[in-house]
Amino acid sequence: MQETFYDVMRRQGITRRSFLKYCSLTAAALGLGPAFAPKIAHAMENKPRIPVLWLHGLECTCCSESFIRSAHPLAKDVILSMISLDYDDTIMAAAGQQAEAIVEEIVHKHKGNYILACEGNPPLNQDGMSCIIGGKPYLEQLQFAAKDAKAIISWGSCASWGCVQAARPNPTQAVPIHKAPGIPGNVPIIKVPGCPPIAEVMTAVVTYILTFDRLPSLDRQGRPKMFYSQRIHDKCYRRPHFDAGQFVEAFDDEGARKGYCLYKVGCKGPTTYNACSTVRWNGGLSFPIQAGHPCFGCSEDGFWDKGSFYDRLTDVHGFGVESNADEIGMAAAGVVGAAAAVHAGASIVKRMAQKGDKE
Amino acid sequence: MPVINTPNGFTLDDTGQRQVVDPVTRIEGHMRAEVNISPDNIITNAVSTGTMWRGLEVILKGRDPRDAWAFTQRICGVCTGTHALTSVRAVEDALNIEIPENANSIRNIMQLSLQVHDHLVHFYHLHALDWVNPVNALKADPKATSALQQQVSPRHPKSSPGYFRDIQNRLKKFVESGQLGPFKNGYWTNPAYRLPPEADLMATTHYLEALDFQKIIMTTRTIFGGKDTHPNWLVGGVPCAINMDGELAAGAPINMERLNYVKTVLDQSLDFINNVYIPDIIAIGGFYKDWLYGGGISGKSVLAYGDIPDRANDYSASNLLMPQGAIINGDLTKVHEIDHRDPEQIQEFVPHSWYKYPDESKGLHPWDGVTEPNFALGPNTKGTKTNIEQIDEAAKYSWIKAPRWRGHAMEVGPLARYVVGYASGHKEFTEQINMVLKALDVPVEALFSTLGRTAARALEAQWAAEKQIYFFKKLIANIKAGDSSTANTEKFDPSTWPAETKGVGFTEAPRGALAHWIRIKDTKIDNYQCVVPTTWNGSPRDSKGNIGAFEASMMNTKVERPEEPVEILRNIHSFDPCLACSTH
Amino acid sequence: MANTEVTRDGQQAVYVYEGSLRLWHWINALAIFTLIGTGYFIGSPMSSVPGEASENFFFGWIRYIHFSAAYIMIAGFVFRLYLAVMGNRHSRELVFPSFTSRKWWAGVWHELKWYAFLTKEPKKYVGHNPLATLAMHFMLFWGTIFMIVTGLALYGEGTGMGSWQYEWFSSWVIPLFGQSQDVHTWHHLGMWYIICFVIIHIYAAFREDVMSRQSMVSTMISGWRTFKDNRPVDDDTD
Ligand code: HEM
Ligand code: HEM
Ligand code: NFV
Ligand code: SF4
Ligand code: SF4
Ligand code: F3S
Ligand SMILES: [Mg+2]
Repeated sequence: MQETFYDVMRRQGITRRSFLKYCSLTAAALGLGPAFAPKIAHAMENKPRIPVLWLHGLECTCCSESFIRSAHPLAKDVILSMISLDYDDTIMAAAGQQAEAIVEEIVHKHKGNYILACEGNPPLNQDGMSCIIGGKPYLEQLQFAAKDAKAIISWGSCASWGCVQAARPNPTQAVPIHKAPGIPGNVPIIKVPGCPPIAEVMTAVVTYILTFDRLPSLDRQGRPKMFYSQRIHDKCYRRPHFDAGQFVEAFDDEGARKGYCLYKVGCKGPTTYNACSTVRWNGGLSFPIQAGHPCFGCSEDGFWDKGSFYDRLTDVHGFGVESNADEIGMAAAGVVGAAAAVHAGASIVKRMAQKGDKE
Repeated sequence: MPVINTPNGFTLDDTGQRQVVDPVTRIEGHMRAEVNISPDNIITNAVSTGTMWRGLEVILKGRDPRDAWAFTQRICGVCTGTHALTSVRAVEDALNIEIPENANSIRNIMQLSLQVHDHLVHFYHLHALDWVNPVNALKADPKATSALQQQVSPRHPKSSPGYFRDIQNRLKKFVESGQLGPFKNGYWTNPAYRLPPEADLMATTHYLEALDFQKIIMTTRTIFGGKDTHPNWLVGGVPCAINMDGELAAGAPINMERLNYVKTVLDQSLDFINNVYIPDIIAIGGFYKDWLYGGGISGKSVLAYGDIPDRANDYSASNLLMPQGAIINGDLTKVHEIDHRDPEQIQEFVPHSWYKYPDESKGLHPWDGVTEPNFALGPNTKGTKTNIEQIDEAAKYSWIKAPRWRGHAMEVGPLARYVVGYASGHKEFTEQINMVLKALDVPVEALFSTLGRTAARALEAQWAAEKQIYFFKKLIANIKAGDSSTANTEKFDPSTWPAETKGVGFTEAPRGALAHWIRIKDTKIDNYQCVVPTTWNGSPRDSKGNIGAFEASMMNTKVERPEEPVEILRNIHSFDPCLACSTH
Repeated sequence: MANTEVTRDGQQAVYVYEGSLRLWHWINALAIFTLIGTGYFIGSPMSSVPGEASENFFFGWIRYIHFSAAYIMIAGFVFRLYLAVMGNRHSRELVFPSFTSRKWWAGVWHELKWYAFLTKEPKKYVGHNPLATLAMHFMLFWGTIFMIVTGLALYGEGTGMGSWQYEWFSSWVIPLFGQSQDVHTWHHLGMWYIICFVIIHIYAAFREDVMSRQSMVSTMISGWRTFKDNRPVDDDTD
């Protein structure tokens, strides 16, 4: 169970007197006058909202943007009533030193009791200085905040897998959170991949933790089973057309207008684990396939490096060239077949010669 | 450093107390600001540093040009989509692909909805806390707040005293919890906050209302692009095929039900902007109208590429509903033409940026652009390479390159667009500007300030909300006339492409002029360069010492309490900085 | 040799391939051809079929046939493993080649030279020649295992968590390869590996039928090996 603020402060050897003083200072700092102090004290003796540090590494802030689009629950209610979003550089009022002080405070006061939400990831190249926070590599802030967290949430494909900045040749050597050096092995990491993840999936993961006071069960790769155990393809509304063999052959063709399956224009729904075809986006309104674009697998590890989004077959990299399985296979089979043909020819010649010898 | 006079007219003096703000918060991405403050609390030197780099231009090399939109879209999730649109335009330019009329209307609606959304979220959730004190709202009288609301916006339905009392109680409970969340450690006792409690309560209430409403604005993109954020785009048009009256229309991306949904959202968006955003700007602006800092270079050098083609495939200035042009040296009587292909006009410099060029005294046109990281600090840096206490702005000091238009540092963004529009006699823009100037009773010079920037953004949101409806009607009319095509796939297959080609695409992103330059060789990307709004605004110095728009805006601002950087935040936030964009 | 007979023309004949093994061989061959045909079209589907989705199941059938052939192949493979333990000496060769025998490796070397036209005469074998065994072991035996493991991992994605295919295969195979798309790619590459084997194998079978010192194609039909001379055989008898 979560401790109250008061418990935490007592545990850290703070007397009741200084606790009350802290409350009146807080009230004063807010310009609210002494009447507020007892109320603050009362609140702090009761179960607090769980503190959340939302750190941003190398990313595009789309995961935050997605989060605020949550329709149920509203992002507002999550932020104001369910959690205490004490640090999130995208929306917090404080800046500079006053902002940095919050990370220190939360880590020390709430050891083991706060959630670390990570958007984006740390780079290792350029001395880690292709992502600087407070004059230092972001990696240091991440390591500091990770070591005493109750759990880490890896928001989006950046934090979960590396995503676009980690795509070949990964010039900053960006690494996902679970592969970052100095991340403690004993802090559970919940990956919520997607570029970005669905808003309602994000808020559902948070509210599940708060409602049931436990972490969601995860699959082998660390994703919550409740949203990532099925492929887009398994619940796609175009699936009957897939089974029927009715495909969009080119964008805006007859099939596209009839909502045929997008498999032949590169749909990665059959290989992508996400809730788009079930939960859908923006309050259940649509998802990429419904709008006529193939899924390109944005919740999958390394999806940027599998070849064109419009090709059915994946690119295989190697020997400095890029080609798909059929190109490689046909080349190999061609070589083998040609070799057999040549060998057959040679064998016939030899046999004729031998026959000639005998006669 | 001695006192320096920059070619673009600023006097830099770093003798005063150095104040560092790192991280600058309530922006997209990571940024650092350092200023020197004179004994009488005036900023005399300003240094802005882009503190992140992801290397998208490097990553794009060798990729399929048709995929580039998805990569570049991930440059930023806040201005989500504008890079994608810029990218498909660049590829279409390179390959000579013409898109259908419907695709143009749909793309415009998507782009305009971004303007509306991004501006609204910026004002309420990234900028408002520089002006509005939510803690002070606890002292407000809900009745007086209700009266104020009805006075500034009679048509907004949520205005009863009970409504404001409920919000205030919720706020009270929140503050009493002692867990202030995002409001923790704010500068709530700083005298720079000037609103009376009633206005604070009204604005804080709208902070929450806008947070709830914003998610609706972008759902038009969920219909057309399948999701928001990061909707889907397509080289040659849009992916969402139209099927109004045919077989299986129910499963088609666009049918009557979908269009009805879009229509509802467009109407609601315009109402919200008209009834909440615009009145708030005027009400809050009224309390700060003598705080005229932050103009920077907005009165001198501004740049707009123009956007929102009325008819498809014509990107010439006369067909763009957003104005195009450059103004330099403060001469509003002359609007210069922009040519993205001219190697002399747009160039990027790196002497103060963490990149390497073969010859750093020269700039490079983006078609020949080079992106090679080179993180190095100057000899006068305080601290170490991985613990910077004070940056040395005489050397390399930012991950942002320094783009210049004919050698000039330029400001881009809503204010730049409105200035170019005003100077070129754009009727709609001029009317809007005059409306605000009159409502606030300020002269036109007031435009060139932090508040001017913030006001222009609100006006633009309003303009965009109206134009969305224009393009919706256009889409319907075109379908009615029998054209339901959405994509031109004639050249979708790479085997139809020339061995070598190049192109450029541009848009007006929420934060300003954006363009991508692409070179294609053997069906793969050979070079890809983005010059982004925040690259312009957040630019470090160039080889001649011109300072960029952020730095200029901080200059000569008076600060109340040097250790509480609220004024710095005001100036910088008025640009709506996006650092992931700026460095990409 | 117990199962040795003398044919009409006085030559020896040896019963090499038991009926069960021959049955497996031909069923397996048929399954593989089916899997290649359907697998290719799963990767690159044909043009769309017209009409109502609910009245068509064309692609569904292609996949259904692929999976049916796959299960036949899997059952056959399990049966073949059983034969490798319980069947005659020759049924063991494919699964347990005599890697530890020098003579066997010498045989491989000799066969290589034979194929390179460097030696006049091949050796004489009752069972498989060592080079054939090597190819069959690495290309077909392990290739089949690879296809079954990756195939079942892909199949488990459809049957979902909780199904044996998912729990036994998908759950670990997919992370091992990276993600599902990679498993598809490797499964697809595996097809071409098997195709290469089939080309080599069929070519070699016909060639050896003519050029070697023993019978070939008829042996895989009747089970009896006959010889073209009466000199001693060169099989490695462990
Ligand atoms: C010689 C043996 C086999 C060959 C040549 C073969 C070939 C193929 C090929 C080429 C594909 C298309 C891959 C892609 O591009 O996505 C495929 C898909 C598949 N194969 Fe096989 N396969 C073989 C055995 C098996 C086995 C033993 C199974 C086990 C159940 C299996 C199950 C599947 C499944 C589930 C798919 C994916 C179907 C889909 O995505 O709709 N295959 N196979
Ligand atoms: C997909 C096609 C095929 C596969 C995978 C295949 C596989 C095999 C295997 C594994 C063996 C070894 C039998 C054992 O020891 O268990 C074998 C033997 C044999 N196969 Fe096939 N086979 C195929 C097609 C054919 C065809 C089409 C022919 C003839 C036209 C053929 C002729 C033979 C012969 C003659 C042998 C005996 C070789 C020897 O005695 O050394 N196979 N095949
Ligand atoms: N700067 C910038 Fe953007 C915008 N607007 C893009 O082009 O924000 Ni992320
Ligand atoms: S996962 Fe994708 S959407 Fe989220 S921050 Fe990274 S790039 Fe942006
Ligand atoms: S559109 Fe994609 S996810 Fe849907 S059925 Fe077709 S392949 Fe599967
Ligand atoms: S691209 Fe991403 S949003 Fe869903 S449909 Fe595919 S996982
Ligand atoms: Mg660039």
